[in-house]
Amino acid sequence: MASGAKMHLAVSLFPESALSPPSDAGPDFTLLARFVQKAETAGLDMVLLADSAPAAGGDAPNRQVPFEATTLLAALATITSRIGLVAAASTVAHQPYNLARRFASLDVISHGRAGWHASMVPDPREATNFSRPEGFSRDDFRRRAEEFIGIVRGLWRGWDADALLFDQRGGRFFDPEKMHLLDHKGEFFSVRGPLNVARSPQDMPVLVMSGLSEPDMEIAARFADVILLDEPSIAGAKPDDLKRHALAFGRSPGATKVLMTVAPGADMAARPDLIADRLEEPFRSKSCDGFNILMPPALSVLDDFVDLVLPELRRRGLLRSDYPGATLRSHLGLAGGDER
Amino acid sequence: MTAHRRQMKLGAFLWATGHHIAAWRHPKAHVTAGVDIEHYIQLARTAEAAKFDMIFCEDAAGVREADINIASQTSRSIGFEPISLLSALAAQTSRIGLVSTASTSYTEPYGLARTFLSLDHLSGGRAGWNLVTSASHIEAANFGATGLRPHADRYERAREFAAVVTALWQGKLDGVSGPGHDGRSFSVRDPLDLPRSPQGAPVMVQAGASDEGRDLAARTADVVFTAAQTFEEAKAFYDDLKGRLATYGREPNDIKIMPGVAPVVAATEAEATAKYEELQELIPDDVGVALLSSYLSISDLWRYPIDGPLPELPASEGMQSRQALVIEQSRRDNLSIRQLARHFAGARGHWRVVGTPAQIADELEARFEGGAADGFNVMPSYFPGELDAFAVLVVPELQRRGLFRTDYEGSTLRDHLGYETADVSSRL
Repeated sequence: MASGAKMHLAVSLFPESALSPPSDAGPDFTLLARFVQKAETAGLDMVLLADSAPAAGGDAPNRQVPFEATTLLAALATITSRIGLVAAASTVAHQPYNLARRFASLDVISHGRAGWHASMVPDPREATNFSRPEGFSRDDFRRRAEEFIGIVRGLWRGWDADALLFDQRGGRFFDPEKMHLLDHKGEFFSVRGPLNVARSPQDMPVLVMSGLSEPDMEIAARFADVILLDEPSIAGAKPDDLKRHALAFGRSPGATKVLMTVAPGADMAARPDLIADRLEEPFRSKSCDGFNILMPPALSVLDDFVDLVLPELRRRGLLRSDYPGATLRSHLGLAGGDER
Repeated sequence: MTAHRRQMKLGAFLWATGHHIAAWRHPKAHVTAGVDIEHYIQLARTAEAAKFDMIFCEDAAGVREADINIASQTSRSIGFEPISLLSALAAQTSRIGLVSTASTSYTEPYGLARTFLSLDHLSGGRAGWNLVTSASHIEAANFGATGLRPHADRYERAREFAAVVTALWQGKLDGVSGPGHDGRSFSVRDPLDLPRSPQGAPVMVQAGASDEGRDLAARTADVVFTAAQTFEEAKAFYDDLKGRLATYGREPNDIKIMPGVAPVVAATEAEATAKYEELQELIPDDVGVALLSSYLSISDLWRYPIDGPLPELPASEGMQSRQALVIEQSRRDNLSIRQLARHFAGARGHWRVVGTPAQIADELEARFEGGAADGFNVMPSYFPGELDAFAVLVVPELQRRGLFRTDYEGSTLRDHLGYETADVSSRL
């Protein structure tokens, strides 16, 4: 069976729920590179790189990787060629101009495979390390994040796709008509622009959002390319509601992909068919467009998923056979991709 | 084992299509450099094969030129963000140091310390941070600021910023077992959530040459980049900065001073001169004057006759030391605005040397042996051709003279610079 919708699959490295026991050193770059290359060989849409703040409540670092996510993404981009790479980055730890710039650059480095994962759940300890000891109220955090995301997306569109002329003889490097100032003045930020990075090869980096509670749904519906929901769905965001919200903002039903976050568990090797069942049911009932698989940074776990579960999903006609294009947007079937 | 002779340090300063303002128009320049990561990977490998100590990337959180007509005639409005660029290059190189500028004006020390430490881990201990403070109104407008902070405030913030970053790298700032940091500009509660640096701490670089900049460098820097046209200027800066180290309990050799040099090299002097003239011819007058204006922090230089002398200028809050350099040069050589603009456009106020490999090696050797430099930050006119030329023509000449390494001494940037694993916390 080859027809019908195909599920989108992401793997999340290093979930905050700490599936693997913490170690002092953590995985090195070589291990992470092999992990992501294996995920690419398997044709997965993207790898999500977490970027947690320090120790939630403890007195020792709890990170399982010795790398900050955007720097790790850049390095991984050079040793892969197809898989999407998404890094988490906090709206508290960055200024919107700096963050927009970093991800625009990552998108050029990866030839259009980068995404930004913005969580709507503030880490209570983060603000204290970024000169905001008083923190943000939940409502301030939300309004600030909304403004932040709007600025970032605006900056990503500051240069038209055909703005760069490279006209050596005529002496025009870019067409001034095709560069646009943002001139944003808002409640929390004032940003003139433009960005000093060229337009994304995939139109814009992919925006992934998670941690949505009810009041965040409108924001996600307006901006998000991918929404991560917990399994089983929480009292807050539900896929149908999200799609309805998106429609209300004039976006097409396919413009936002909803991925359900699942942790496959230890029984994966023994009963891959059960894992496949667990994924097939919500996908067939249109509760989601695919899955975000939480996985410890261990090659053996990814091997089990790729070698045992994916063939089962493929047999059931639920997976596409190969990458449909070169960019993350094209893997996800989003506008701005380059489907061939 | 041979006696250990003092050898010069070399940086490969990668910038856009080249350091010459008209580089992008040169037929042998890679005009799409700003969107081509493979181009940068190739440059990094060239520099590493030539045993450069480090790659260096400039940075600004905004476009370089507010006048869009001028901007559209240069290649500098778009390019890679340097932290992501160097992180990508870390995975594609194994020995060369990776140094980027980052401003203390629009970032927080916790985030910056963490990002550079991550680059340090990705590269196995090859990262360095060039601390700058931002003077540009273009940058300020991207961060909700209405105007520039006066010079002293920028440096006060920078001093606190540097102290926090260094403490975080050293693992000496711990809000759980100690007080954390609660200062005038920043507060930080927790230690970093990453392991310690493979080289003790990323290398600290500075480029500010004003009095406050020099003082901050004397306290905190491992490497100082500077601009000096003449031997005398270079020597005066070198002696001044080294003289400040004792105040902070440091030895003269604890800082490597690396002035910028913009070489134009060819097999013969005539070829080198022709190569340079070819580039100069490609500079549009309005671009040259605009570039000069931005160094002088005045916006109306174009009002003055282009063939006349530089007008008298008021003091500004901008880059004070470089401004003085430009004015001194124009008076000394009796240059018109056009001549000065062209002269500076290519090398941006840095030292330009045009000649054969032997002539360029002579010039570098004279400043190195004359106590005016510990090494040089090499600023090729256009990429990749002029980096290749320096690597193939000048580096072997320096090696033949025993002035530059023939292989890396170690694996970290601190190894290359001849430093022990860092412990710099005592002087903060």
